[in-house]
Amino acid sequence: MRPCGVFDETYEKDIAIVRTRGHWLLLIGSLLFLFILPLFAPYYLLNLTNNIFITVIVVLGLQIVTGCCGQISFGQPAFMAVGAFFSAVLTTKFGISFWIALPLSGIAAGLVGLIGGAPSLRIKGFYLAMGTIAIFYLTMWVITHLHITGGHQGLSVESPSIGSFVFDTDERIYYIILIITIILTFFARNLLRSRVGRVFVAIRDNDLAAEVMGVNTFYYKLLAFFISCFYAGIGGSLFCHWYTVVNSEQYTLIHGLNFIGMIIVGGLGSIPGVFFGVIFLRLLDELVLFGSPFLTELIPKLGIAPAASLGVMVFGLVLIIFLIFQPRGLAHTWEILKTSYRIYPYKN
Amino acid sequence: MVDFMQFAINGILVGGLYALVGVSIVLVFKATQVVSLAHGQLLAFGALFFWIFLDQLNFPVWVALLGTISLAALMGFITERFTIRPLIGESLFTAFLMTFSVFMFLDGFFQLYLSGQSRAYSPFLPEGTFNLSGVIISKGLLSSFTIAMLIFAALFAFFKFTRTGLQMRATSENHILAQSAGIGVKKVFTLIWIISSAVVAIGGIACANVMDIHYPLPYIGIKGLIVAMFGGLESIGGALLAGILLGLIENLSSGYLDGPLGGGVKDAAAYVILLLILIVKPYGLFGLKKIERI
Repeated sequence: MRPCGVFDETYEKDIAIVRTRGHWLLLIGSLLFLFILPLFAPYYLLNLTNNIFITVIVVLGLQIVTGCCGQISFGQPAFMAVGAFFSAVLTTKFGISFWIALPLSGIAAGLVGLIGGAPSLRIKGFYLAMGTIAIFYLTMWVITHLHITGGHQGLSVESPSIGSFVFDTDERIYYIILIITIILTFFARNLLRSRVGRVFVAIRDNDLAAEVMGVNTFYYKLLAFFISCFYAGIGGSLFCHWYTVVNSEQYTLIHGLNFIGMIIVGGLGSIPGVFFGVIFLRLLDELVLFGSPFLTELIPKLGIAPAASLGVMVFGLVLIIFLIFQPRGLAHTWEILKTSYRIYPYKN
Repeated sequence: MVDFMQFAINGILVGGLYALVGVSIVLVFKATQVVSLAHGQLLAFGALFFWIFLDQLNFPVWVALLGTISLAALMGFITERFTIRPLIGESLFTAFLMTFSVFMFLDGFFQLYLSGQSRAYSPFLPEGTFNLSGVIISKGLLSSFTIAMLIFAALFAFFKFTRTGLQMRATSENHILAQSAGIGVKKVFTLIWIISSAVVAIGGIACANVMDIHYPLPYIGIKGLIVAMFGGLESIGGALLAGILLGLIENLSSGYLDGPLGGGVKDAAAYVILLLILIVKPYGLFGLKKIERI
């Protein structure tokens, strides 16, 4: 956000993520706010924030593979599940500390993701989307049929700890989730500015043209899948240590569809879009959850608990509206706002 | 051997129903190049409308069937007119996401109406079973299969012998050429959505007759997608063959492997097939291989 008349004078300024002093103030202020949030936030809000941050991590991964590299994946929850179960098994069965299990579970999910990305050698677009649905089902089938993962019952997991300090409440684990979200967001933001990120965008826009330009498309597609699934694995691992219980019911295809919806609403290929999309749809969910009892009073025929189905309905409707009227998502609206601020008092 | 025959025959009969779902997706793809996820919901709603007409309003079977087909056709029309039509000119991928959004939207209504219960039809097809030298065949399944085959025959005839069918085939070849030959491409789009919704609604009734109306019913649409991709997205005959093959493989593998592997093999088999198809022959058995240009 720069007002009219502020220009970059050096190369360092041009490539900086944080551009002006106002930016720095805003950034530090909002980070400070996020760090002191648990001091005054009620339990409910904190729970929601934790959930939003974990979803942000997973959807950031999806944004990299789908939004930037153009390889649509419905299988994200399966990779989350791989991360969650891997981390759960490592900590409970082998007694490995959470801090080692966390990155390992990301890598494990990434490696499974390489299998998920392998069909992208020959297929793309909608065909690949179906392939990832297949990968999703097969992964979940394997997870529920292994002994070490506790089958359908799943496992109960311990909260992470440093020494005798146990991160067992929402406030305590909030800090772990927050810090990891910040690191991963920063990484994703920078990745997309780098050579690799530009290759991803080239593959998305036209993979044949990218290949003719000398890009090893298969390698980069697999890399995108690996990074995306690494994010999913980290998200899954955090989720299972936060809930202290992991089972296959937590990871369904509906979640995968929801994640795709989030990047559509947020805007394909944009990192701020991930935040917009996740927060928008999560708040919408909460709104439906709060609103549905009143709706049931108004129209008693709706039944006892219409929240879940109303949520799905509203989600679908929002997606339809976005696809027709703003297919580039909230991030595009944000860009328009920024530009009109920049060129004020002129109009574009 | 009796076991094998039993599994195989059941598989073929169920496969006929899958083929019906698959072919409705193929129809839409052939004409509009849009792969539709929404058909899962159109199927579920077809089954639901029939249940309402037959069991709630106590209409005779034929009236209920006609009412279901016209309502399903109306739904297909609305879907095309208000969600797919505004996207003409956008990328096909957006259209795919749109059908997915429609799926979610309708999913909410479906869940709301069912509210966690399952509904079964009062019997309207011949009931009971007959025994063919040890192999037990359910009459209900057999009559569903027969209906499916009749619809396939009707579709073949429609595309082969009618003027509208010819227009549709022309449109599926090339939109611009079809338009310049005086075919109303938009009209063809609408018509194909209507026909395909009607077909998938009948498929839904046949499926629900075998497995009741309960929540996972819309996900048969994904089975339909697998069938469509297995047979090749452009081929009606391919969908028929692929549907039957899929039913066969599913039933055989679940019959023999469910015990040793601990259940759930049926769905897993379908997805293994899908993955193998995608890796070995991405455009399906009879699909057209697309050559891309930059």
